[in-house]
Order: sequence, then C-alpha cells, then structure tokens
Amino acid sequence: MSDNVYGAKCTSCGTVNYPTRAVCRNCRNETFEPVEIGGEGKLLTYTDVYALAIDYETRYLRLAIVELDDGIRVTGQLLDDDPKLGKRVKTTIGVVRDPGEAPIQGLQFVPA
Amino acid sequence: MKPVYIVGAGMTKFGRSEWSLMQLASVASLAALHHAALGEIPVDAVVVANMGAARVNHQTALGSALVDRLALYPAMAEAVENGPASGASAFKVGCQAIASGMADVVLVTGVERMRVVNGLEGTDFVASLSQPEVEYIYGVTLPSLAGMFARLFMDRFGVERKHLAMIAIKNHENGAKNPYAHIQQTVTMEGILTAPEAVVNNPPIAEPLHLFDCCPVSDGAASVVLVSEEVAVKLAGPKVRVAGIGQATDTHAVHEREDPTDLKAVRIASEKAFSMAGLKPDDVDVVELHDAFTILEIAESEAAGFFGRGEAHKAIERGETRLDGRLPINPSGGLKARGHPVGATGVAQLVELAWQLRGEAGARQAKGAEISYACNFGGFGNNVVATVLRRE
Repeated sequence: MSDNVYGAKCTSCGTVNYPTRAVCRNCRNETFEPVEIGGEGKLLTYTDVYALAIDYETRYLRLAIVELDDGIRVTGQLLDDDPKLGKRVKTTIGVVRDPGEAPIQGLQFVPA
Repeated sequence: MKPVYIVGAGMTKFGRSEWSLMQLASVASLAALHHAALGEIPVDAVVVANMGAARVNHQTALGSALVDRLALYPAMAEAVENGPASGASAFKVGCQAIASGMADVVLVTGVERMRVVNGLEGTDFVASLSQPEVEYIYGVTLPSLAGMFARLFMDRFGVERKHLAMIAIKNHENGAKNPYAHIQQTVTMEGILTAPEAVVNNPPIAEPLHLFDCCPVSDGAASVVLVSEEVAVKLAGPKVRVAGIGQATDTHAVHEREDPTDLKAVRIASEKAFSMAGLKPDDVDVVELHDAFTILEIAESEAAGFFGRGEAHKAIERGETRLDGRLPINPSGGLKARGHPVGATGVAQLVELAWQLRGEAGARQAKGAEISYACNFGGFGNNVVATVLRRE
C-alpha cells in the first residue's frame, strides 16, 4: 500500500475522512485510526485533461472521481479506454506522478 | 457596522504586459485615486491582493512595496492571498477597516503578473491550491477539476456544449466592447463548435471543456478606493455603497462534497451578502461572475439564486443574460474575455460594477443599473466571496 491512500477513520463516529484531517468533519472528534482506501465502486465523473501539471510527458491525462461502494469518494487516474458515467470500476495502486527523484504512488481505476 | 463607499475605480488593460508587478499595481492604483479625486484627504490603508508573486515574480510584502511606489507613507499596508478569491478578500479587508472605524480611506489593489512563466509553470502554480495529498499528486489542475465538474453537471441538468459556447460568444461580444479586456474579439457558434474547422480552432483542454470554455492567462491590475461616510459626503461624483459582503468555505477536495454539482460556498456566501444588503437576487440589475470556465457561469448563477437548479442554461438560450437582456451577466467580458490575472480578478469585477452603477461603462453599459452582484470563486469553490453593491 502507498502512504497516499490511507484515510482517517474517526474513533468516535466512524466517519472516514479522506483526505485525513486533524478534526473529524462529521463530529469534531480529534482521534482517528488509519484505514486503507480502495475497492470497487462506480465512476462519478471523469475528464481528459490536456492542460497538464508539470511532471507529465503524456499528451493528456484521464482523471476521475469514483464513488466507492463503502460511500467514500476518491480522486485518481482512470485507466479505461471506454469510460462511461456510472460504470463499475475498481482501484489499483500505481505510479501517478514522477517528479524525478521518488515516484509517487496513488490510486488508479480500472474496469471492475 | 459603518457604511462603506466606493468612490474611485481603475484598472490596467489585461493581457500580456511588459510592465513590472509594481508598475501594473501603481498604474491601476493611480487610475482609481484620480477617479476618486480625494484632493488633500490622505489614504489611511493599502491592501494588495495577489496570489503568486512570491513564486512567479520573486517578490513578497506587496503592501509595503505599493505604499512606497505611491509614496503613501505612513499608511497601514498588507497583502492578502486567498487564491483566485484574493481580490474580493482584499476588498473585504478594506471594507472591514472602514466599517470598524480604523480607517477612513483605503486603497485596494489586485495585481498579478503571471505571463512571465511558461504555460506549464503557470498552470502548475495555480494547481498548487488543490488538495496536496488526494488531488494534486494525481496531476489535478484547475481545468481538470472544471472538466470533471462540467461532465457531471451537464449530465445531470441536460446542459450541452452549445450552451457553453453561447456563454463564450456572449462574453467575447461584451469583451469586444471593453477597452480593458485581454481579448477584444468576437467568436461565432460556427467557429468554435459547429463548423468542421472548429475542431482545430477550439481544441479540448479538459473534456468536455475546450479552449473557448477557458479563460486566458493574463497580467494586469485593478483598483478601488473605499471611504467612510464622513469622507464620502465631502466628495463630488456618484457614490456606490458596499451593501453586502458574504464569504463561505467548503471542503478542500472536491470529491468530499455531499453533492459535487452543488456550489455550496457560492450559495452560502451569496445568501449572506444579500441578507446583509437587505436585498434579494431578484433586485439585482447587473452581475459579474467568476467564469474561469464557461460551466461556472451557469453553476454560479444558479447557486447565487438568479435561476433555479438546472434553469440557467435555458435562460441563456433565451438571451436573458446578454447585455440587452433581463439580467446582464459579465458585461465586462468576464474572465473569459477580460482575462484572469488571478489576484486582480476579484477587484476587476468590482471595478466593472462600480463603473456600471455610475453609468461610466461606455459601449457595454447595462441600462438603469442600480444594484449589482459579484462572485469571486476561490479554489475550486472552496472559498467564495460574494459582494452586493448599490448606487446611492
């Protein structure tokens, strides 16, 4: 697992905060336990972006927001040649950015 | 709260500029100060709005720098950084200084000089406002957040690319009448959507958004002079009252929002601004929205209360938001045509509205404008400032 795909599960109300934060956005409790983020879900929306950030050599990047079956939503890279809103996908972990020294791992989505 | 008035407004032409950051800021400031014609009345405070000078211009402490450039010592001074909402945030800080009685005259100047870096670096500098751990690392840029938002919004409410194009066409038409606009050129539906060459003219930036759905990257500055009632009564010329200001925040990551098509911070900020003003959206005569992407003009106009959910694109079809329509939106050309020097934009919106309310907007004057509204959209909607102005 990559460090980038952990959420913070509130020890009081159980809400998973992703990204992690210092105070639970649901109940304002301040203690959490780490929880792995991932699994199956459906494609909420996506884009092919040509206005790229630095660190990318590709012509475009396919980015998406996925609603996981446990209700958590995540942003990541979509590896699917035939994307459709609502399509079933699952998460994998891969290199999502390579600034030169240490490649960054994160969430990618593939057809379920 | 003591009343606050705008008595002067000025700006530089937006676009690519050879001027330094402080040249831009001082030209806009002097235009506003001359417009205000303060005579011997001193400026008590200077607030500068800017997002990226520390990174792209290697300059910090812009408040002190502008005071020096304008020889306004010993005026109080600071800079405000609030991403793309820096402009209206700085305006709010200036209003607070007068409303609290700490100052009688405040100069608020927004400035950005971002064309000095290449497009890639410019896009990346703005992308640095996204959530670092769960958005930025994936290559998220502002156009990509807008693209994902647009696809979902269009799917849910039946908005088509032609509606986005209608906004671009309208805003270019208005921009062509604005001598301060970055782009002063009209575009046609054929040229950007329906003709075969539209594919070349209007390439994709972040699907479903194309080039003509996105604002240009600009240099520029805009400035207003704010005064207390005690000073306002001594000055000649029309007075524009700051009737209401509202600000609201939302989750940093877009994916965490309960309904990612709902611009909740726009809704709350607008409700607050209208409530402070004792007015409602129906009272407004002219509007400036933060159309960094065409889809945002649609979504913001609904969240601010001018149209019901899923209704704005139908109003656009009917021409209601054109300069000669029921509710002119972005008579300046908006971010789409006037341009988007990030920290200057929120101030430029209020400059345009002050001119509109004073009847000084020339060829793009909205008829009989007495009440106006602006939305300055920071982050991707996670920090929004709404302002209501009224002619007195």
